[in-house]
Amino acid sequence: MKVHPDDPRLTAYALGELDASERAAIEAQLADSPECRRAVEEIRELGAMLEEGLAAEPALLLTDAQRSAVVASADRPHRRLAWRWIAVAVAASVVAAAGVGSLWMVREHRAAKSELLGNVREILAETSAQSNHYLFSESTDGSDRSVHFAGYNSPVGQVPPTGRSGNDPVALFFGGKGKPASTLQAIGYVGDSGVDGDTAGAPTSTEAYARIDENPFLDVAHNPLSTFSIDVDTASYSNVRRFLNGGQLPPKDAVRIEELLNYFVYDYPQPAGDAPFGVDVEIADCPWNAEHRLARIGLAGRDVPAASRPASNLVFLIDVSGSMNEPNKLPLVKRSLRLLLDRLDERDRVALVVYAGNSGLVLPSTSCGDKASIASAIDRLDAGGSTNGAEGIELAYDVASKGKIPGGINRVILATDGDFNVGVTNEGDLTRLIEEKAKSGVFLSALGFGMGNIKDATLQKLADRGNGNYAYIDSLAEAQKVLVEQMGATLQTIAKDVKIQVEFNPAVVSGYRLLGYEKRMLRQEDFNDDAKDAGEIGAGHTVTALYEVVPAGKTVPTPAVDPLKYQPTPIPGATTGSADLLTVKLRYKDPEGDASRLLEQPVVDSGSTLDRASDDFRFAAAVASFAMVLRGSPNKGSSTFDSARDLASGARGRDAAGYRAEFLGLVEKARAIAPSPDRESGR
Amino acid sequence: MSDGEWVRSVLDRYEGRLVRYAARIMKDADRARDVVQDTFVRLCAEDRARVEPRLAEWLFTVCRNRALEVGRKEGRMSSLDDDAIEARESPDASPALALEDRETAGRVARLLAALPSRQGEVIRLKIQEGRSYREISRIMNLSETNVGYLIHVGLKTIRERLRTRADLRPKA
Repeated sequence: MKVHPDDPRLTAYALGELDASERAAIEAQLADSPECRRAVEEIRELGAMLEEGLAAEPALLLTDAQRSAVVASADRPHRRLAWRWIAVAVAASVVAAAGVGSLWMVREHRAAKSELLGNVREILAETSAQSNHYLFSESTDGSDRSVHFAGYNSPVGQVPPTGRSGNDPVALFFGGKGKPASTLQAIGYVGDSGVDGDTAGAPTSTEAYARIDENPFLDVAHNPLSTFSIDVDTASYSNVRRFLNGGQLPPKDAVRIEELLNYFVYDYPQPAGDAPFGVDVEIADCPWNAEHRLARIGLAGRDVPAASRPASNLVFLIDVSGSMNEPNKLPLVKRSLRLLLDRLDERDRVALVVYAGNSGLVLPSTSCGDKASIASAIDRLDAGGSTNGAEGIELAYDVASKGKIPGGINRVILATDGDFNVGVTNEGDLTRLIEEKAKSGVFLSALGFGMGNIKDATLQKLADRGNGNYAYIDSLAEAQKVLVEQMGATLQTIAKDVKIQVEFNPAVVSGYRLLGYEKRMLRQEDFNDDAKDAGEIGAGHTVTALYEVVPAGKTVPTPAVDPLKYQPTPIPGATTGSADLLTVKLRYKDPEGDASRLLEQPVVDSGSTLDRASDDFRFAAAVASFAMVLRGSPNKGSSTFDSARDLASGARGRDAAGYRAEFLGLVEKARAIAPSPDRESGR
Repeated sequence: MSDGEWVRSVLDRYEGRLVRYAARIMKDADRARDVVQDTFVRLCAEDRARVEPRLAEWLFTVCRNRALEVGRKEGRMSSLDDDAIEARESPDASPALALEDRETAGRVARLLAALPSRQGEVIRLKIQEGRSYREISRIMNLSETNVGYLIHVGLKTIRERLRTRADLRPKA
């Protein structure tokens, strides 16, 4: 064998492709040929350089929705994949005649089993850090953001009307119709979407967070009342999760303690009597400050299915194409769906179909008895891909027809910015299909999202043909109106304008601090003012609030107030003749009512230690610790990621949906990402 | 490991590589994702015992075939001409361009991009994905000799270009 320097075998040799005998043969030749030796050397050098360069190329990841679909398939019992191409019977002939038959075929992804979504979360938690970079520009001018707490005289108009759950954050989170107000300290970041348009699991392109000035410690002598509106929003948790899964710590102001707390389901006792919700207060040691006590107020909405309401079979058809990847589009769709989901119960079924380049069933029709699975499927939705609306509509109708509830609400709810790629088919065929389906009792509601791109006319027409309604949703408040008040007239809100006022007993308490709910603070006068609206609670909802309580005799970590000149200064630790720690008062209105009702419950601290506290209590405390560490809160005391993890891991309870396990994963992740002890030790 | 866990672990190991690979072929990250999703969905339906011994080869093969298939289908259906396709690959959608900033990676990407596409592809499969000649031959449906030849020629061309163009020469 004679080897020439330009012999492919030399390349194979240099790249380690040859077996032992071939290698020996080449090496024998190399000994005699300096030219060949140089060629091998060059190839190896080049190989090393290419390897280095190629290794630096980022890997591109699937979107969350795509991973969900894969995992759903994985957990399906072994079965040859059915690439089922369904020509929809009604439309087939029309379409075939139009010569675009192949695009009217719908691919069917089967059976995402609900319990699998827990697994999806686990996987996602493992998803390696992405190649996204965020530019953080933090304004340092934090001077003029008012803190709204009980008794504080905020200028009217600066306290946002806290009524509709989520009214307030709309303007902040979604950017509303303009830029965040100047009083808001915005932390903006842009996703470096240089490679992929959709940055799976990573924050969308522009978001702004209102600065959160945490509620301070207040002394009971001057501030015996603490008043706030309930809030059932949970968006901050998903947002924090998105950051951590993307390998970033969230901006401080993206971490809202109450939204993290309320993300989890707690097993609070159901209400006694005919009250729409029960109140449960538990008090034990404060995990992050040995001197303090922690009081947890838990509300549980009554879990009563309204017998009169027809069951719903809803199929959400969601546009996840690249153009939806804007804060006021897909994220708003997701939150809107969560609002609606909150009003559904176990008699209802929900399925999720997405459409983009490919359409797919990301959640098969699932009972709303399993809301956790549905909610997590909604959370997983992720924009990316081009739109093919026609395929998606076919698939959605197919799912709706199969799960049809006679006499119930059978409806496909389309959420899109209207950027339909109907070019491949024609609009006439689409509207005909929708008409046919409407006759069979499956209606279409179209929800338009986003601005500028929205194609009202198309959506309007589709909805008209589908016996449905069309609404344009630009904010969560609008979603609330459309999805909850209008559509949900038949669904279930059990109480509205729910306010909480806590009165502390100065004989037992010297000071307190409410964790979170900064945006929800009310003036103490607002509590009895039925014109002031507040949050709503739906059947089965739980709401959790934590107070860090400074027992009488201990110093309240707050600046001293000068004694009053013209009236007696309240005396700390005054005897009141009561051993109560506090009294919780709740005001709420019936869903149709205008006059509020009052619930009142005095609470005595029985001196429970942390280890005797319930799992729910300890878990909520762990979530709060975690949030405070993430926020670099000055109030976090001894909290660390480690302490939050230890506390939570012993308090997982049943955790059927896997939420708490996921939380533990996030704590680990944050701990691994945390750059320096800086954040850990507070600033 | 259950089948479900197995698929998840395969996802974790190969997702990024496959999307990157498909994105090269399709010149579009989003469509590449769809293709890779399909690939994994198909994997779920496969007999694990049959696939597992040659997992990487199976994944790359199915992914490649699917990418070409989709590309062909879209090519046929699409009314877009080549200019429009170029325009659609906006800078923020093209994997290649995002790399240009990174010095070595950018240089390497340019060198490979300048080769005939099959040569670039075999070199990437060999060096970036660590596949053997035999695996590459199955993935791309070529003979092993042919793979060896394509890699050889591709690397030789790059060597020659490096020799003649100092600006492309690697540092030290």
